[in-house]
Formats: sequence, C-alpha cells, structure tokens
Amino acid sequence: MAFNITRRKFLQSASLAAVALPLSGAIASESGITRSPLEPKGSLKDETVVGGVCEMCFWRCQLVGKKRGDRLVKLEGNPKSIDNGTTICGRGNAGIQLLYDPDRLKYPLKNVGERGNPKWKRISWKEALDECGTKLKAIRDKYGPQGLCMFPHGATAKYPMHFMERTIGTHNVSEASFFQCRGIRDTAYLATIGKAPNEDVDMANAKVIFLLGCHFGENVHVSHIKRYIQGLQNGAKLIVVDPRYSASAAKSDIWVKIKPGTDTAFLLAIMNYLVVNKKYDAEFIDEYGEGFEEFKQGIKDWSLAKAAKECEIPVAQIKEVADMLAANAPNVSIHPGRHVSWYGNDFQRQRSLACLTGLLGAYFVKGGWVPGKAPKVGKTSWAKKDHGDEHNLNRNADEEPLYPYSPPGTPTDLIRDAALTGKPYPIKGAVIWGQNPIQTIPGQEKMKKVLQQMDFVMCVDVMPTDITMWADILLPEASYLERHDLIKTGTQWDFADKQQQYITARMPLVAPMFERKDHVYITNEIARRMGYEKDIPVQTVAELVDKDLSVAKLSLAQLKKEGGIHLLEGKNPYEMPDDFEIYFYNEDIADAGFPGVPTYVPVEQSPAGYARLLYGRVPLHTFNRTQNNVWLHHAMPDNPVWINDKVATKMGLKDGDVVGFINQEGVKSRTTTTVKTTPGIRTDAVFMAHGYGTANPLMSVAVNAGVDDTSLITKITVDPETGAHGMRTNFVKLTKDGKVIDIPAAV
Amino acid sequence: MQYGMIIDLERCVGCHACTIACRAEWEVPVEFYRNWVFRMGPSMVGKELASTYYPGLCNHCSEPPCVAECPVDMEERTFTNFKTGETKTMETAATWKDPFDGTVQIDKNRCIGCGACVDACPYNARYVNPALVDDVSDDGKADKCTYCKPRVEAGSAPACVQTCITGARIFGDLDDPKSAVSLYVKKGARGIEPNGGELGPNSRYYGKKKDMDLLFATHTPELANLDQVRRRAMLASMVKPTMKKIRNLGLLGVVGALMAKGIVEQKKNEE
Repeated sequence: MAFNITRRKFLQSASLAAVALPLSGAIASESGITRSPLEPKGSLKDETVVGGVCEMCFWRCQLVGKKRGDRLVKLEGNPKSIDNGTTICGRGNAGIQLLYDPDRLKYPLKNVGERGNPKWKRISWKEALDECGTKLKAIRDKYGPQGLCMFPHGATAKYPMHFMERTIGTHNVSEASFFQCRGIRDTAYLATIGKAPNEDVDMANAKVIFLLGCHFGENVHVSHIKRYIQGLQNGAKLIVVDPRYSASAAKSDIWVKIKPGTDTAFLLAIMNYLVVNKKYDAEFIDEYGEGFEEFKQGIKDWSLAKAAKECEIPVAQIKEVADMLAANAPNVSIHPGRHVSWYGNDFQRQRSLACLTGLLGAYFVKGGWVPGKAPKVGKTSWAKKDHGDEHNLNRNADEEPLYPYSPPGTPTDLIRDAALTGKPYPIKGAVIWGQNPIQTIPGQEKMKKVLQQMDFVMCVDVMPTDITMWADILLPEASYLERHDLIKTGTQWDFADKQQQYITARMPLVAPMFERKDHVYITNEIARRMGYEKDIPVQTVAELVDKDLSVAKLSLAQLKKEGGIHLLEGKNPYEMPDDFEIYFYNEDIADAGFPGVPTYVPVEQSPAGYARLLYGRVPLHTFNRTQNNVWLHHAMPDNPVWINDKVATKMGLKDGDVVGFINQEGVKSRTTTTVKTTPGIRTDAVFMAHGYGTANPLMSVAVNAGVDDTSLITKITVDPETGAHGMRTNFVKLTKDGKVIDIPAAV
Repeated sequence: MQYGMIIDLERCVGCHACTIACRAEWEVPVEFYRNWVFRMGPSMVGKELASTYYPGLCNHCSEPPCVAECPVDMEERTFTNFKTGETKTMETAATWKDPFDGTVQIDKNRCIGCGACVDACPYNARYVNPALVDDVSDDGKADKCTYCKPRVEAGSAPACVQTCITGARIFGDLDDPKSAVSLYVKKGARGIEPNGGELGPNSRYYGKKKDMDLLFATHTPELANLDQVRRRAMLASMVKPTMKKIRNLGLLGVVGALMAKGIVEQKKNEE
C-alpha cells in the first residue's frame, strides 16, 4: 500500500486539475479535498527540457526531460541524438525514480556511531567540509600525500581524482572501471595495436559477430545494442562463447559451451588453425604485422584436438568457428569485451582477441574494429605536476613496475596491502567517490579491515550504498539530472549511414533538491581548506564545461540553443591510420618477464562438491547502483541462481527453491535467493546477477534483496601483467534449510 | 481500421525499456503493469535450446471478452474518427471496442471497479487501480494499455514503441495491407489465441520458429470462466449504483443506512 500513498501524494503534489465529474467537484469544495484525475495526462503536453545525458549506466545516452511544473515526470531519448535517438533502455526510463528516491542522501552526515555500524547526525556543509579538509590535511602532513588513497567511479569522480593525483600527489587511486572491469582489455590492446579498443566493433556492418562472454540483452548499452541487432538483421552470423546459454547465445548460430577459464586455449587453437591452413590475411600481416614468425612458433602446439580437450568442446565446433571467421574475413567483429577481469589469466586472453582480429585483417574495415572519429574538446582539470615515483606502490626497489601493464592508477591490492601492513608506508585517509568498494572489489572483509584502520574515511555518493556505512563524513551529491558535468562526443552508430559527429554536454534538467552539491563545489571547498586555493582550475562546473566546449568553438548556451546536441560533418571511419601496427609477438612484454606471444595459463579447478561461481548482468540493473530504484527493483527483485537442471535434480532442487551459498573458504552468503534450473548452463558452474544483496538498511527497497555475489568472492586472484583482479576464481556449494548441499561434478 | 502491434522477437533483447516507459508515461503504480516482459528459458524446444521473451500488452482483440462482461448500464456514446472527423454513435458500457480504430478503451468515469473485465481477460492485461476512486467506485478503476490512444491521435508513437531500443515494436493499421504491421502478418506474425478461443488478438509476435514455439507453449492462456465472472459482476452492479445514490443525495436516513449496510454484508458473504 505504501506505493499507492506515494502515488497519490505525487498526483496531488503535481497540482493536477480536479476531476471532471461535476459531483466530485461539489464534494471537493465541501470537504476541501482535491481529487486526482482518473486519467493520467501523459507526457506529450509537458514542457520539454533538453541537455540531459543519462548516467543510469556509463554509456551516456542523450536525453530530454518532460517537466510538469518543477517536477520531472519522464525521460526520453533526445530526438536530435544520432547515438541513441528517441530510445533509452529500461534503466534510463527509470531515472526519475532515482531522482526522487526518498532514500537518497539529502544532507551532509557525520557518523557518530562506528564505521560499519553507523549512527548518522545531520551537519552543515561548512562543518562537513571543515572536517574533511582538516582531516585530509592532517593525514597529508603526517604521512605525506601517499598516506591518502581514493576509490573513484563515474563522471563526477574524475575532477576530485585529478585533485588527489595531480595536486596533492598520491598514486594510490584505484578505479573500479579499470581494476575490476575493463583495464586489462585496454592495456592488452595497447600492447598489441597501440590503442584502447573500447567496444568499437562495427557490428552493424559485420558478416560475423564473435562474442566471448559478452551477453547483450542481459548487458544493455543502447547504441551498442543497435549495432548488434542491425548486424543480425543484415544477416550476420553470431558466435557466442559462454559457459551459459546467455541472452546472446539465444540469438546465436553457434554457441560454444566452453569450460570456464579456458578461453585463451580456444583462441590459440583457432589462430593456429588459421595459420597452418593459410586462412589468415597474409597481405594485412605483411603490411602491418610485427613479430608474426615468433607468434607462429609460439602457438604451434595448439591443435584443435588439444584445445577441444582443454575447453571440453568438440573439435568440429572449433573448426566450424575458425572456418566461419576465415570465410567472412575481414568483415568480422571480434568483440574486445568490456568487463574482462575474470580468471587472473586475462591479459593473455585479451591479447589473443587483438591478435585474432589482426589475423583476420579486421581492423579499420567494414564490420571490423573501427573506432570512429569524434570531434575534439578540451580537458580542463587540475594541472599535472610531477610527484615522482618514490611512493608509487607499483614500483620495485629498482624502480621497475611490478605490474607493467597496469591500467592508470595503482592496482587495488597494492593499496590495500600497504594499508594493512603499514609497509612500505601507512595509508590512513580514504576518499570514496561514487564507487562501492564493498560490492565491487573481491575480499569484502579485507576491504573492511582497510577502512577500519584509517584515520579518516569520507564518501560522496547519491545513494546510501553499502560502502557509505564505513564513512566518517558522508556527502550528498547532485545526481546526473541535477548537475552539469561531462562532455560526450561521438559519431552516428551505424557507419553505413551518412558520416556525422556530435558534441553534447550533461546539463541539469531540474535544480538539486535538499542540500545536494556538485563535485566541483565539493572538491574546491576541500582544496581550499587544505591550502590549495591557488591550484583551483575553475570555480564552477559550468565554467569547466564551457572552457572545454570552447575548444570546439561551442558553449553551453549554444548547445542548449541547438537542442542539447551539436552536429558536425563526419569523416570516413574506415581510413587506416598511417602508423598502424599490430604486435603479434611483443618484445617489451617478454622483456618484462611475461609471455610475449599470447599464452594460455590454466586456472585452478573446482574442489570436489563445489561449482565455479559465475556472475553477470541483468538489463534492469547497473551493478548495485540501481538496486534501490523502485521500478527496477520491482521488475527484477532478486538474482535467481542458474544451476544445470540435471545437477539440480541430483541435488533434489527445483525451480523457486530458496537457497544460500557457502564458498570454498567457508564464507556464507548473508541472504538467500531462488533457484533457476535450466539446461542452459554447464554442470560445473552456477551463475547469478551481480550487485544484489545490499546490506545497508537505509536502502529500504534493495536491502537484503537477493545475494551479494561479491561477498562470496573471497579468494583474491590478480592478473600478473596488469594487477587487476580475476573474479571468477571462487567456488560455492548451496545451502538449503540450514544444510549444505554438495554440487555433483558429473551427472 | 484496426490498430495492432507487432513484437519482433528477433530484435527484442528483453531490456524492459517498453515496460518502464509505460509506467512513466501513464503513472502506472509499481505493483501493476499495462505491459510486461517475461523471460522464458533457456529450455529445450524439441532438440534445441531456446530462450526468448514474452513482451505482452492488451491485445485489443477483434472479439474482446472483457467488453461484453462490463455490467455498467449501456449509454449512448459518440465516437469520432480522428483522421476524418466522421462520427458514429453507439451504446456502450464502461468499456468498448472503438468503431474506428479497433482499440479497446475504458471510461474511468463510468467504471465501477468491479473487476469483471479484469477477470474476463485471459491475458491478465487489465488490473483495477485502487488509487483511482470517485463517487462511482471506492474500489478503484479498471486500467490497461490503450495503445497510447492520446499520443497516437496527437501524431506520436506509443510510448513503448518510441523508446524500444532495437525497433522491436511496430505499431500500425492491420487493415492497411501495405502497413509495416501487415507485412509482418504476411511473414507469419501471430497473436496468442487462448486455448479454444477466437478472440483475434491484435498484438502479434514474430520470431524464429523455436522462439515462437517456446512463447506459445508457455504462454497460451485458458479462456476465463465467464459464469463466475458474470455472477460477481452482477452483484457488483447491484451494489455500486445504490451506494452511490444514497451517499450522493445526502438522504441517508436510518432505513437507507440499514439498506446500504445490508447490501455491503450481502456482498461480503458472497465473496
């Protein structure tokens, strides 16, 4: 019933007209009650406000808002967009429920209880900023800048992150988007083709789309999905490699039901087959390839039979995949993936994908890897200063990097281990901005210990996520619908269309309510209190955006006049850059002590009675960030665990049974979820959606809904080249009615 | 003209943009829905694995079973063809099938919230929204997908169609053989007809054979038991207008109060 009350209040507060019934009018005048209309008005006649850029995920679709009075009632895709057009996904459509979520952070809060078990006291912004400034300054003065660390995420975290790195001078910054997500992909491709690949495959114009673990449909980024579906509509064949019959597998021509962790063996066998049978693009390799002979030698043992055994898939299927790719080369999309921190052997797998793309000649061609050419804008931020590498944790005694292919920042566990041991130096202050390290980083208890030993922890967020329970000071940030921040540039999504470019900037669609502030205000106020007044690059976020837009001879005012999006003529995306090279064998990697030719490293196998814990996405949630959104929660309230139907039968489980988990280290899930039995998953793995199982009671919708997969990822695996985490290296049994049930290995 | 909607399952990725956009557009309370997306599978269909979606909504049936069950008194109602301005007058209860565009609509001002239409619909496409009350009904009002009639008549696409990220929802006139929806029907798009029913659902599905087989095998409904529906509807129609009259006229003497109480208790006993 709570929802009804909310809705009625909403209708009343929106001052909608009294109902048309004359009799009701009479009653209303007598009783003083204003009746809601029986028919909702619809949004067509509401005021349209332009300049929105979505942040329900990080794809940044362009929005317009529908406004009734001061209230935003609906979000839609900006009709001027050449990226997402009038369309936005389910999460994007639910943005107004984040905006008006009654559980959102409203005021600066001080923890007068203890970390992890907070008691919140509302304080003024002045008091909050004074405390942050004083405490951070004291830590810097006592321990040096390296005594501070930061866990940032999202568009607003960049400005404070640059303040921490460039101005204060700490290396100890760990971005979840790199170390628990896509950093490995970016550095592996950088070491192969000199460019971070993003997800820039021209799927719309491909003849084959090859997905390794990507599960589109469960994972939704609008213009990306448009490319994918357009490609399939144009007749592209779809190959999906996944231990699970994912949403993409359901649309595939070939589903490779691979054994988890063996992907690199699969890729090496395909590449060796292409080389041996001369089915690769020799001309392309002559022109652009480096180290091809070493590469050929290095992968020559990978017969189809050897990979088939390792991957537990038929020889014929590997051959079928390889032949399909060769027959359609170079117009093939070998997808680089996005979240790739899986098994701790991931750098080599990502290198393999980049090399496979090269063997097929699939760079800068129709249907291949094509980054598109976006217009230039400025990058105003805190001035770069050299703080030296003396306190860089990613350096050994000889000043050599421990993880030479680390993404920017410092590998997470170098920071956490230093904090816990005090060696080589103590880390006593933590700034957490938009990230939820409790449900992002493996080793929840370790993370808690790291936070526990800090002198000071501050969090800036929109929602009271689990990490905020560990803050001393908790600051409420304006949401993406209430602030300026980034500039987004790009091209039209289908390269077959007229070449166009666009520039857009996030603008507020409504004013922030309560005492929410933006990132530039918060950072600058803290900087002033730490003695960095003269380093402050801009006074307001609007000034920052205007400065960056001026590089493209634009301004916020001009953008607004143009409907929120500025369009320009585009360039041919398929033109090969003069300096393009692809390193099949990379000597630098070898010199650093790692395999210079892509190499398969087997992963630890499941102990008896356990299955590997796999996790992934659902289309209505972006990790934990959207869990408290009442519309999204209602549509996907928990994360059923997928278990092979034959295994389930043997275990005496059926659909809908309520189960918990216990992992290989005896760690139990705090909450339960339901069973989904299906033939669409291997027998040696279970799967659940990531981001559920919120612990913070202040998230009143999300709390205890589903199981927190991160809580079960206690074994910490690190990718040796990059220092990023591998997160599919833990194993679970199920628990039901207090009893532990083994998962049989074979059925 | 008969409006219809095609759901192309080859394009649908199950993202729910349609369901959430509908909530926002029509202020649908969180515990109800005017449209839905259910995921099916992965399951074996014959010897193949399959998994697909059931993006459902009102079928605006050619022979809608919900319309006939509305117990509200018939009244004359004049319809206008929004394209030609042509008018037509006919007798309707609180819900009807539009003579011009073929959509099934509800007059919430006349709806008594009895739920007969909800029970009569085999697709669960209707609900009673208890937040919508007036002098005619304390129990709320029936609600459902209108094919976004107000938007369509203003020249816009239905909210779900506008936001669909892959163009999997196609809206148009099934009576126009050249329309995109008719072309889909020619290619094999089918509505989900209940077992033994001849309702003529106008929201139709197109997809790979195994996906269509999975959809129809798991979501072909049974027709409602209309005897039960009618009995409840009849009772409701007896109670509601009486209550309304008594309260509105302000003539609630002792006898009237007892009468009203009696009717309410009778209703409770029946339930």
